[in-house]
Amino acid sequence: MHFGSLLLNSFELQHLLPSAKLEVGHHLYWQLGGLHLHGQVFITSWIVIGLLLIASFAATRNVQRIPSGIQNLMEYALEFVRDLTKNQIGEKEYRPWVPFVGTLFLFIFVANWSGALVPWKLLRLPEGELAAPTNDINTTVALALLVSLAYFYAGFKKKGLGYFAKYVQPTPVLLPIAILEDFTKPLSLSFRLFGNILADELVVGVLVLLVPLFVPLPVMLLGLFTSAIQALVFATLAAAYIHEALEGHGEEGEAH
Amino acid sequence: MFDFDATLPLVAIQFLLLVVVLNAVFFKPLSKVLSDRQDYVSSNNTEARERQDKAKRLAQDYSEKLSSSRRQSQTIITDAQTAAQKQSSAQVAEAQRKLQEQATSIQLELEQQKQAAFSALEKEVDTLSQQLLKKLLGPELAR
Repeated sequence: MHFGSLLLNSFELQHLLPSAKLEVGHHLYWQLGGLHLHGQVFITSWIVIGLLLIASFAATRNVQRIPSGIQNLMEYALEFVRDLTKNQIGEKEYRPWVPFVGTLFLFIFVANWSGALVPWKLLRLPEGELAAPTNDINTTVALALLVSLAYFYAGFKKKGLGYFAKYVQPTPVLLPIAILEDFTKPLSLSFRLFGNILADELVVGVLVLLVPLFVPLPVMLLGLFTSAIQALVFATLAAAYIHEALEGHGEEGEAH
Repeated sequence: MFDFDATLPLVAIQFLLLVVVLNAVFFKPLSKVLSDRQDYVSSNNTEARERQDKAKRLAQDYSEKLSSSRRQSQTIITDAQTAAQKQSSAQVAEAQRKLQEQATSIQLELEQQKQAAFSALEKEVDTLSQQLLKKLLGPELAR
């Protein structure tokens, strides 16, 4: 799927605006003992992880009773993800899930915004391009599968094999749908995030290609907004799925 | 666009490691800070509330004491006033009585002196009239 390059070729502008190159499906391949890796994903995700770790260290290096600066910011972030988890999972059982859901939110949020704010194009790679880690399907599927594993783990830990009772709980007629749900949850999670982030970067790329000045700015702002919303949605849904597994059958935590 | 490869499991493992590391360096310490601060604030709050209660109780105590002592002083003042009133009226009555006594004794004395003076005068009038008579009628006729 060389959508972007195709678009480029049709416009034949590549020589004119080298900074507005669009590439989807080109990757910087790394070899690791016969395994293929997408190098650009790891490079940017390491930068994102490094940012998170630096912020965490800076925030906890010298904790004060009256917080200021970076400690205040990170406390705000912590309270935000804690409230998010508490709202979804409930007062009683949310505590052990705060690190997982919180890390999901922080990682996706920082990754999305890094894709929107950091001018990665200035760093040239031999192949492919640097972008938000979340615009690679591997990242989003990995995160979504982890969410699936997390809610299965939550269910089994709480109820043992009785967790399977929820598949036939109201009526066995819904068994196929209940099973299907376990496939649609990670699928929708991963594709929602992947699609939104990739589409955002593509739209910005195409607009920059067409009108390099000012016109893409509103779309970029919209991109920042959607990036934040997608991180929130991902974390909220993850917490909602975990809550559902803990509670048994019941409310559906579906958002968009 | 949809080429899955070893990136997927490695990103997953990397993410799990990130969860563990962030739990150690971010979630745990900052949660501890937050709960410590919560404890500090709530303990301070209860302490302050206790102190406020204590102060209120003390203030009430003091105001009660104040009003009771005010009442006491009021009664003392009225007692003293009535005592003074009584004393002064007694003294006034005594003085009046003495005055009355003196007045009557003086009047009595006056009356006696008047009587004495009258009798002396009468005697004199007698002698004078005798002399007058003698002079007018002659000594022999007068006898």
